[in-house]
Amino acid sequence: MEAGKPEKLIVNGRRLDGRRPDELRPLRIKAGVLKRADGSAYIELGKNKILAAVYGPKEMHPRHLQQSDVAVLRCRYNMAPFSVEERKRPGPDRRSMEISKVIREALEPVLFLHLYPRAVIDVFIEILQADAGTRTAGITAASVALADAGIPMRDLVTGVSAGKVDGTVVLDLMKEEDQWGEADMPIAVMPRKKRITLLQMDGNFTPEEFRQALDLAFKGIDLIYEAQKEALREKYLPSLQEEKGEEK
Amino acid sequence: MKELISSVKKDYLLGLALQGKRVDGRALDQYREVSVERGVIGTAQGSALVKLGNTQVMVGVKLQKGEPFPDTPTSGILVVNAELLPLASPTFEPGPPNEDAIELARVVDRAIRESQMIDLEKLCIKEGEEVWAVFIDIYVLDHDGNLIDASVLASVAALYDVKPPVSEEWTLPEFPVSKKPVAVTVVKLNGVMMVDACLEEENIAEARLTISTLEDGSICAMQKGGSGFFEREELEKAYELARKCGEELRKKL
Amino acid sequence: MLFVGNRELVVPGKLLADGDYFAGEGTFIEDGKVFSSVVGLTEIREKNVSVISLQGRYIPRRGDRVIGIVTDTHPYGWTLDLNSPYTGNLMASELAGRKVDVFREDISKLLKTGDAVLAEVKEVDERWRVQLSVGERGLGKIREGRLVEISPAKVPRVIGRKGSMLKILQETTGCRLEVGLNGRILIRGKDPAKVNEVVEAILLIEREAHLSGLTDRIKARLEGKK
Repeated sequence: MEAGKPEKLIVNGRRLDGRRPDELRPLRIKAGVLKRADGSAYIELGKNKILAAVYGPKEMHPRHLQQSDVAVLRCRYNMAPFSVEERKRPGPDRRSMEISKVIREALEPVLFLHLYPRAVIDVFIEILQADAGTRTAGITAASVALADAGIPMRDLVTGVSAGKVDGTVVLDLMKEEDQWGEADMPIAVMPRKKRITLLQMDGNFTPEEFRQALDLAFKGIDLIYEAQKEALREKYLPSLQEEKGEEK
Repeated sequence: MKELISSVKKDYLLGLALQGKRVDGRALDQYREVSVERGVIGTAQGSALVKLGNTQVMVGVKLQKGEPFPDTPTSGILVVNAELLPLASPTFEPGPPNEDAIELARVVDRAIRESQMIDLEKLCIKEGEEVWAVFIDIYVLDHDGNLIDASVLASVAALYDVKPPVSEEWTLPEFPVSKKPVAVTVVKLNGVMMVDACLEEENIAEARLTISTLEDGSICAMQKGGSGFFEREELEKAYELARKCGEELRKKL
Repeated sequence: MLFVGNRELVVPGKLLADGDYFAGEGTFIEDGKVFSSVVGLTEIREKNVSVISLQGRYIPRRGDRVIGIVTDTHPYGWTLDLNSPYTGNLMASELAGRKVDVFREDISKLLKTGDAVLAEVKEVDERWRVQLSVGERGLGKIREGRLVEISPAKVPRVIGRKGSMLKILQETTGCRLEVGLNGRILIRGKDPAKVNEVVEAILLIEREAHLSGLTDRIKARLEGKK
C-alpha cells in the first residue's frame, strides 16, 4: 500500500468528509470583489479558494498578435506558492500552461468575440488555496468575472469534476480522492443547452461508469449554475430589494 | 505599462496638495481604512490579508527544511518573494518579477530581516546541514496605491499567524517572533509630504520615502523611490510621520 | 410571449422572449428566441426587448461626444485614449482648422501627451479606426475644469431621460457639465464647493444607477445644500 493512502475512501456510502457520492462540497461565489479589474469573482469550493479577474475588451499589444476580425481571449491559470502543502515555486509550469489553454478553450464558445475585433480579453485565475478541482472551479469563477465585466455572453460556463473512488462514481473530488482514486474527469458546460466546452479525464472508466459520471456532473452543474447566477444578481439585488421594500 | 493621467487631473491634485488637501478628503498624515485578517489560507503555516483602502495584499508564510548558507551554518533562512499579479492592475503584465516586484520584495525583506523580528538562530535543526527556511510570498491582489506599507503589514501579521509545523525536527514551543516593524511610505507631491498615497497620488508623486520603525522608534530600514529628491528637513518630517503613523498601524497587528 | 417583466434584473443566457419580438441592445437571438447577453435590467418597449447593461466598456459610435486623453503624437496628429478598446485619432488639420505643415510647425504646441480633449466621433471604419473631430463650437482642448471618470454604462443616468438629470445637476449648482459618453465628465464652475457637490452627486449616480427614483433623490440632495 502506498504511504499516506487511507485504507478506504468510502465507508458505508460516506466519503472521507462525510459526503455521499452525489454531493458537492460547500460552495460560495461572490462577484465584483476587486476594484481595478473590469470584472472579478471569488469562489470557495470545499477548501479551494480561487480568485478570477477579467480585463477587457482592451487594446491588444503587441499589435502583431491582433486578429483583424475578432477579439483574442487570453487566459492565465496560476497557483500561489502557498496554495499547496509543498510550497510551489512561483511562475508558470507545464501543468499550468496546459490548464490555461483548456480553460481558454472552455470559455471561448460563449463569447461574442467578433464584436470586438483587434481587441483582447484577459482572464486571470489565481489559485490561493488548492483542494482538487481547481481548473473547473476556476472556470466557474472566470465566467462570473466575464459577466461581471459586462462582456456579452451566450451563457455562463460551469465547471465541476466527477470521478471514481473505491469503485464508486462520485461528484466533485476532494484532494485525497483526486490523489488516490481511480478516475478523475474535469468537465465544463454551457448549462442552458448542456454543451460541453471542457472535458478531460485520466484513470479508468467503463462506458457505463462514464455515463454515470456525466449524469452526476450535470446534476452538480445545475446547482453550481444557480450559485453563479445568484452571485451576479446579489451584487445589485440587496439595494433593489430595499427599493421594493420602500415602494410597499 | 504606465498609468494614464490627464494633465487636467494632475494639475488638480497638485493644486489640492498646495492647500494641504487630498483628492479623497484625507489629512496629509491620515491613512485610509486599514483591515488586517489573519489565518486566511489553510495550506500556509501563516497567512494574512491586508486591505488599505482598496489596495489588497495577501501574504502566505511557508516553512520548509533546507540547507543553511555556508557563512551562517546555524541560522535559518528567510526568503521574500513578491508577485504583482496581473489581476491587480491593468499595468501589471504576466511574467517573471520585474524591477517593481523585486524592489517590493527586497524592501519588505529588509524591514523584517533588519528588525530581527524572527530569531533565525532558533531555526537551526542541525548545524551546517539543516535549518528551517521561512518563505514569505507576497501576493498583490488589487493595486490602489501604497503596496509597500500594505505588504510589510501583511507580512508581519502573517509571521505572527504562523503555527509551528508538525514535525519531529520542530522543538520550539512556538514560532520565534518578537517586535513589530511597521513601514510608512511618505510621498512628495508638489513639495508637500503625505502618507499612504492612493493610486492617483502615487502616479504623480515626485518621490517616495519608506521608513520602517520599531516600537521604540528606532529605524530598521529605509528606501527612497521615484526620480525626484528630498531635502534634509523633509527627511526629518518623514521620520516624524513614520513614527506617528507607524504607531497607529502597529495597533492593527 | 414574454418571459420577463420590465426593469427586471437578468443575467447572461436568460430567456427573455419567444415569437415576434425585436432583439435590442444587450440581447441575442438563438433558435428564434431572444436571450440576454449581459447582466442588466430589462427594458421592454412594445415589441422591442433590450437589456441595459450595468457594466461594460465604451465602444465608439459615430456622433458620440467623448473626452479623450492624448497618449501619443504622430506625424499628422495625435492618438487619444478613449477609455475604450479602440483609440481615437485626431488630425492636426482638424484641430487647427486649417492645413498644417507638419514639417514647419511643432504640433505639440497645439496638443501634447496628457492633454484632455472634448471631441466628437466623426467616423469609425470597418477596421475600428476612430476619427475624431473638434469642428463644433465648444470642442477642443480642455484647459480648465474638473474631470471625473465613471463606468460608461452609467453615463445615460447622469444625462437622464431627455436630459433631466443633467439639467438638475447644472441648475441646482450653477456648474456646467460636458458629458463624454465614454465615461469622462468635465465639470466647470466658479465655486469649488459646488463643483465638489456635483462630483459627489455623479459618484452617487454611478453607485445607484440601477435604482429608481434617483433623479428625485439627487435633486433633493443638491437643493438641500443650497
